[in-house]
Amino acid sequence: MSILQDIKNAVRSRSIHVAYVDVGSCNGCDIEVLACLAPRYDIEQYGIYVHNNPREADVLLVIGSVTPQWVDKLRDIWDKIPEPKVAVAIGNCPISGCVYARRGTLTTPPVENYIPIAASVPGCPPRPTEILSAILSVAPLIFKDYEEKQP
Amino acid sequence: MKKTVDVSIPLGPVHPCWKEPVRLKCETAGERVLRVEVELGYMKKGIERIMRGRPWQEVMFLAERVCGICSVIHNMVFIETMEEISDIAVPPRAAYLRVIVNELDRIASHILANFSYCYTIEHETLAMYLLNTREIVLDNLERITGSRVNTAYMIPGGVRFDLLPEDAVTVLADLDKVEEEMRRHTRIFETGPLIALRSKGIGVMDREEAIRSHTVGPTARASGVSDSDLRLRHPTYQALGFEQITRTEGDNFARIMVRFQEIFQSIDLIRKCVTTLPDGPIRGGGLCRAGEGSHSGEAPRGELTYTIKTDEYGRVLDIAIRTPSIMNIEACAHAMIADAASIADVTSTFISSDPCVACNER
Repeated sequence: MSILQDIKNAVRSRSIHVAYVDVGSCNGCDIEVLACLAPRYDIEQYGIYVHNNPREADVLLVIGSVTPQWVDKLRDIWDKIPEPKVAVAIGNCPISGCVYARRGTLTTPPVENYIPIAASVPGCPPRPTEILSAILSVAPLIFKDYEEKQP
Repeated sequence: MKKTVDVSIPLGPVHPCWKEPVRLKCETAGERVLRVEVELGYMKKGIERIMRGRPWQEVMFLAERVCGICSVIHNMVFIETMEEISDIAVPPRAAYLRVIVNELDRIASHILANFSYCYTIEHETLAMYLLNTREIVLDNLERITGSRVNTAYMIPGGVRFDLLPEDAVTVLADLDKVEEEMRRHTRIFETGPLIALRSKGIGVMDREEAIRSHTVGPTARASGVSDSDLRLRHPTYQALGFEQITRTEGDNFARIMVRFQEIFQSIDLIRKCVTTLPDGPIRGGGLCRAGEGSHSGEAPRGELTYTIKTDEYGRVLDIAIRTPSIMNIEACAHAMIADAASIADVTSTFISSDPCVACNER
């Protein structure tokens, strides 16, 4: 364990930038992600900053079953995020397609076919506290000792 | 294909200000924006295609997942269309409970729209105040219906749950709290000198342009289009003495202020409903039959229309949904943003028309 890694661990545990991308949902999950910003849940007290910019993000929240427009673009957005990175699926749509996975649909769930998903938060929509706890529990697992875990 | 806009600055689909993916292609000369074209299609899920051939019990849940922000009104208009087709009567208590839930949803939606605008003009303090007030409203929505978003509260011939007397007391107490906080937030917005610099006289759309572009909802009412609120034609709202709010400025400031004023109006409507709630059953019952019908309701963003054709088992054979935002987005692009003074005004003007992309594309 090097000193550099210690510093990186300390910084990464209190500075998580979040980007969210809606790839075709009813936007009910979008507004629950936005509700996390409210002072009642206060996502920023954990050092999480929601700024919808993939280039400076650590965590990507994926919302919705994948529409045809997003099939290529979702991978592009994932590639733009610098390492180390983690994707969290919010709601039922990225897992199974929820109500949209029926005959006649244009969507092609699940999101796992396009980008690697580290955690999923089921619910239609999940509560803000569940989204918050998912980010807080999955981010340290990926970010801690990231450089040392690399082969 | 004819090129209409020579794109120099594309905004979106992933953008810090947008809640949902949409792309604005701006043609600029220096800082001045000459023309804007909207590119939609990132959220097309084909809900109407899924709905065809399914029983109304399934379509009901799909209908409210057209849009998560205004899910209650989608539920309400779909159920009212089915009732109109099948001649199902609603008990008066259920009609009043529907208004309570619908207005709570409208308050939550309007607060979210104003939050987005304040966030876009970088007034984060007021944005966070508004978002915190919205949580109180969602608590009450959850208390009555059991869910924060996608409530599925209404069914043909009534509603699912009754409003208990002890809940009614809590709702009234919370409404007082919301009203007090909203008075403070409205004063902050109305008197803020920096907010006025970013809002007054920006994105102006006059009355003729608003009528020509078929704008609906608060966007039209801020430009002075009278008689554009469909709640004026709803029997329950007529009984409650609903009056439309209209402003004449037609700029960003007016659009946000119309929403603030409608929040107070909704609070008064809920208070009137809770205090004068009639006794009786909350479900009248009834069977969905074959027929064809069209019905409109006032969503938080404007007029929402469902056109449905059903068969004798209550299956939906054909359905067409006309959602409000599409006209507002188009009017926003060609009337409000055109010839904007700076790129920063493009985002704020677009957000001030309260675009709901999930509604538009379905």
